[in-house]
Amino acid sequence: MADWLTTEGWQAVALSLRVSFWATLISLPFGILVAYALARWNFWGKQVLNGLVHLPLILPPVVTGYLLLVTFGTQGPVGRILNDGFGIVLAFRWTGAALAAAVMAFPLMVRAIRLSLEAVDPKLEQAAGTLGASRIWAFTTVTLPLILPGIIVGSILAFAKAMGEFGATITFVANIPGQTQTLPSAIYAFLQVPGGDGAAFRLVAISIAVAMLALILAEWASRAVARRIGAS
Amino acid sequence: MIRATCLCCLVLCAACTGLRPAQADELTIFAAASLKTALDAVAADWQAATGDTVSISYGGTSALARQIQQGAPADIFVSSSSDWMNVLAESGRIQAGTRRDLFGNTLVLVAHDAGLPSVKIGPDLDLAGMLAGRKLSMALVDSVPAGQYGKAALDHLGLWSSVKANVVQSENVRAALSLVALGEAPLGIVYGSDAIADDAADDAVTVIGTFPTDTHPLITFPAALVADSDAPGAAPFLHHLSSDAADAIFAAQGFLILN
Amino acid sequence: MTLHVDLAHRLPGFTLDLAFSAPPGITALFGQSGAGKTTVVNAIAGLLQPDRGRIALDQTLLLDTAQRVAVPVHKRRIGYVFQEGRLFPHLTVRQNIRYGRWFAGHDRIADTGRVVELMGIGGLLDRRPATLSGGEKQRVALARAILSQPRMLLMDEPLSALDEARKSEVLPYLERLRDEMRLPILYVSHSAAEVARLATTVVLIDQGRLVMAGPAAEILSDPIASPAFGPRETGAILTARIAAHEDDGLTRLDASAGALWLPQVDAAIGNTVRIRILAQDVMLALASPASISALNVLPCVVREVIDDAGPSALVQLTAGGDTILARVTRRSARSLALSPGKAVFAIIKAVSVARDAPGQHGTRQDR
Repeated sequence: MADWLTTEGWQAVALSLRVSFWATLISLPFGILVAYALARWNFWGKQVLNGLVHLPLILPPVVTGYLLLVTFGTQGPVGRILNDGFGIVLAFRWTGAALAAAVMAFPLMVRAIRLSLEAVDPKLEQAAGTLGASRIWAFTTVTLPLILPGIIVGSILAFAKAMGEFGATITFVANIPGQTQTLPSAIYAFLQVPGGDGAAFRLVAISIAVAMLALILAEWASRAVARRIGAS
Repeated sequence: MIRATCLCCLVLCAACTGLRPAQADELTIFAAASLKTALDAVAADWQAATGDTVSISYGGTSALARQIQQGAPADIFVSSSSDWMNVLAESGRIQAGTRRDLFGNTLVLVAHDAGLPSVKIGPDLDLAGMLAGRKLSMALVDSVPAGQYGKAALDHLGLWSSVKANVVQSENVRAALSLVALGEAPLGIVYGSDAIADDAADDAVTVIGTFPTDTHPLITFPAALVADSDAPGAAPFLHHLSSDAADAIFAAQGFLILN
Repeated sequence: MTLHVDLAHRLPGFTLDLAFSAPPGITALFGQSGAGKTTVVNAIAGLLQPDRGRIALDQTLLLDTAQRVAVPVHKRRIGYVFQEGRLFPHLTVRQNIRYGRWFAGHDRIADTGRVVELMGIGGLLDRRPATLSGGEKQRVALARAILSQPRMLLMDEPLSALDEARKSEVLPYLERLRDEMRLPILYVSHSAAEVARLATTVVLIDQGRLVMAGPAAEILSDPIASPAFGPRETGAILTARIAAHEDDGLTRLDASAGALWLPQVDAAIGNTVRIRILAQDVMLALASPASISALNVLPCVVREVIDDAGPSALVQLTAGGDTILARVTRRSARSLALSPGKAVFAIIKAVSVARDAPGQHGTRQDR
């Protein structure tokens, strides 16, 4: 089994899993907040926020990666603040790969959560309020459990998108084996050389397996949760 | 109405059977992306002189080679690597006798900081010291030709192991160049032609050294007629690509004219 | 505990501006759709911030725009039973009714068992809201509101989404709630029948203004209030005591004006019940009628005759200590020469009976 894939290949698989996991986890609270704001609140600039969230879907991934690089790179305005103030470097690190994956996957996550939020009656939170629950408690105990299927679907979609993200990742953090060489970057590199097809296809097979597993898991989990909360 | 329909049919039939004015031909060229500036100029001259229409599809050499292998309707393939041309030759996808190396390229060390002095590239070069822990930008060192040549050169000079950990790899040489232009990497190794193209654009990078040609395999851009090509204008255009007129244009873009 | 409300709020089309008090018992906030009832209730609950207002429960201030006081919804401790129940679909009935207890604190642990028994939902505790009937849902919603240990209850047309059968299923529970919990209940309704059956106090509003407010018996028998209830629903309520269950299946009730016989009333002898007599179900005669099938004939004195809509007139009658309304044609009123002080006999064709609230006889409020 170990011979089946090179060390670099296994590294790429492990890195992609790590990058996707963190990208999903870190963007989840923001995803829920943005979805909630878009579904429930009316505020100035709502359409602008909506557009910004969806921008990564519209822009070529390379452009998103380039914008990340000039913003969060060591020379970029935000990257410089993060580096000087907190010692956080994103460019050419796996954390940067996670950021790129999170940004690319964010619209998918927000859309899924927003859809399930729109199916939940906002008046239930009012009812919780009259029973003594503060707004944050009303959200946590009523709305959050009811949108759990949407959160699961959104997270898995985001995870799957993060697993497959290539353009923005390689533009922002390049391709450093063991550090930023994700599964798609490794596949791309193998496809550049004559005779690399075999290794590339083995990685593709792993990609497909992971993606299928994630989607089946999501389907199963969201159904189980929907059944448990009696929403179906 | 009937007459108009007949006329349309006639035109369609003419198009289908390749019935065209005797001289003008339609050529489809698949060429490596780094040739764009120079090749566009050469093709424009050719079009003006012959009336042939030259359409050029630029892309990564590997992607173009795979497309030709799958039967893409190209007449001429200009590759940035001999390896891929070899693959096409072995599978009979190019007309064997027509292959020729059009020109070469140089490998240069570029810097973001315009004030950096020029260096002589040799075994004594303290590349690791110049980087001081920062990044060296290259194209993919195992798969993209510019990266492969760069790695070979550093290996030859005995510098590879000392800078290996600092190398960031991009999917193509232009992306590697832009990391230097943005200052995300202070130094990079790219083709001389790319550095010149960037110079012409916004002068964000400075060439501080050229790798001696004996440090890496000869960098060549081989071209050949594709096996299925039946355009009569293809062979003359391939020939024109190694003419003095074309050479002058390629040389101006930083390519190395062979022999 | 008494709720004091004084509100002003601009709404599309009109301005809400009214003040009233709701003593213990059920205060019906009655008015046509769009009169501003839900706005008033939402302002009391804290779901809506009115332009100007002062709301207090006894001495506890919930809102005072002048003093910039506005207690947030979750700290008001006002139970709210919504029109459509609003049960939490992901929780069982048991979890739903316990929801409010998480936040209620420890000062007064309400007896869950007693409330479950009061609302008759003991058999539903492990079910989910989706599997409940409309009536069951509203009973669970009532239990949930009570168990959050509120200082008062708001009910916004809690029966309007139910059909007649479900309504009559829930109504007895509301009566028990009224009689056994010493909470002020503000009950929004546009059904005169519900008001007649449940209310101890009635607050009548129209277009955001207070029309009249006072004890239910007084307001319902006031001809001036009649247009608000509508001609078919106008009718007085009076209190009667169960005197005897007789052998032929009739129950004798003693009202202040005399005896009434009704088909088997389900209440013990000695209990008082509330009976509602619709104005359209009362005929008037100058002499005590003989040879007539109607059993219930009460001697009355005309207090007032008021021309009603169309060809009819509304006659307010004093019957012992109670008041009855009768609707007759103007022609009949003229031919009988009905005028204040005239003695007549009221022939009552139909009566509806409801359980009476014990000891709820407030004084009339005016503004």
